[in-house]
Amino acid sequence: MAKVKGDIIVDIEKCKGCEVCIDACPTHTIEMSEKVNGKGYHFMQNVHDACTGCTNCAIVCPDGVITVYRIKV
Amino acid sequence: MGKELRLMKGNEAFAEAVIRAGADGYFGYPITPQSEVMEYLMAEKPYERTGMVVLQAESEIASINMLYGGAACGKKVLTSSSSPGISLMQEGISYLAGSELPCIIMDAMRGGPGLGTIQPGQADYFQLTKGGGHGDYRLIVIAPASVQEMYDFADIGFELAFKYRTPVIVLTDGAIGQMMEKVYIGNQKPRLTEEEIREKYPWATLGKTPDRERNIITSLDLDPYRQERHNLKLQKKFKEIEENEVRYEEINCEDADYVIVAYGTSARISQKAMDIGREKGHKIGLFRPITLWPFPKKEIMEMSKNVKGILTVEMSAGQMVEDVRLNSTEKTPVEHYGRMGGVIPTPNEIVDVIENLFVKG
Repeated sequence: MAKVKGDIIVDIEKCKGCEVCIDACPTHTIEMSEKVNGKGYHFMQNVHDACTGCTNCAIVCPDGVITVYRIKV
Repeated sequence: MGKELRLMKGNEAFAEAVIRAGADGYFGYPITPQSEVMEYLMAEKPYERTGMVVLQAESEIASINMLYGGAACGKKVLTSSSSPGISLMQEGISYLAGSELPCIIMDAMRGGPGLGTIQPGQADYFQLTKGGGHGDYRLIVIAPASVQEMYDFADIGFELAFKYRTPVIVLTDGAIGQMMEKVYIGNQKPRLTEEEIREKYPWATLGKTPDRERNIITSLDLDPYRQERHNLKLQKKFKEIEENEVRYEEINCEDADYVIVAYGTSARISQKAMDIGREKGHKIGLFRPITLWPFPKKEIMEMSKNVKGILTVEMSAGQMVEDVRLNSTEKTPVEHYGRMGGVIPTPNEIVDVIENLFVKG
């Protein structure tokens, strides 16, 4: 079976830093950024390569900030 | 309750609600976490829908004084801001209360003091229920705990404001402002025409007509005796509000041994804590003041007679707890639990506190 690798794209300006996605990520790929967006919120970001493309973060995100992409490797 | 159902942020629901309540003008200055109010109004263009004015003022001080002008003409006007912005507005709020002008001011509280954080807080309770500005005045303060209430309280706010000619504060925080929930949307109310305003609000300064004296709206009167009479009139009005406009919600208080008193976001978290506590076998109830001023004094007193302990949960160092202590029986212990600076307490934390304080003794 082909392995699936994932990646996320974050709409930084729409993120309000509620941190719901942090607990939803099974591989602890997401962390809050040190930087802030235009409104002053720390936004979420992908910190390492462990994303499996499970889309948990995108499902729980209340503002639809996250887009998940999957590739077969 | 209307039929149209939408998924909206609290701030957006409030903005849509004021358009539909027939507001005449919004004057604001952006500040996180309530910028969505103005963003929504700018995108929605109510000046094309109903003729409502939406204006970004140069500062919070300018916007509150624009409210003073708009309200003096009998128009439905409002502004919204967050804690530091509300502090800037205090002088204007005192003037509005002194001149008996109706308006809505929405405060999305954040962690303070100073610039603080942009995460939700509830530390502006004292500022808005006890004063904030100078002089003997009170403001009607209503605290929504859901996006639906953010919508509903806009119309109720205008009703109260015009009924008593007083500014009304909608006291919320970043959590309710930013969270998305379903909202039932009501029908559009028409804006009042100038003739209707003249008829409904004879005090409005819309231009003198030959059949009456000039309307003068001011908070200045250099004669101390006249100023005292004006103050007595205001106090009489506040008394009337205290008697008639108390709103609150009780959940599971009938058989409760321990009652959590909380408003806004804290009340939502406490409701979950209540459920967890009840599963563990503790009889916990929730008392949620909806109007923070007028505070539900009599109801708290009645409730306190039948319980073994009261815990107030606030996102502050303990502000509402003082009002609860003042208005409950001496034999009932009243304790406080709060997180500050923008940290939101979790339901399990609250249950632990109740267990440690009351259940274990």
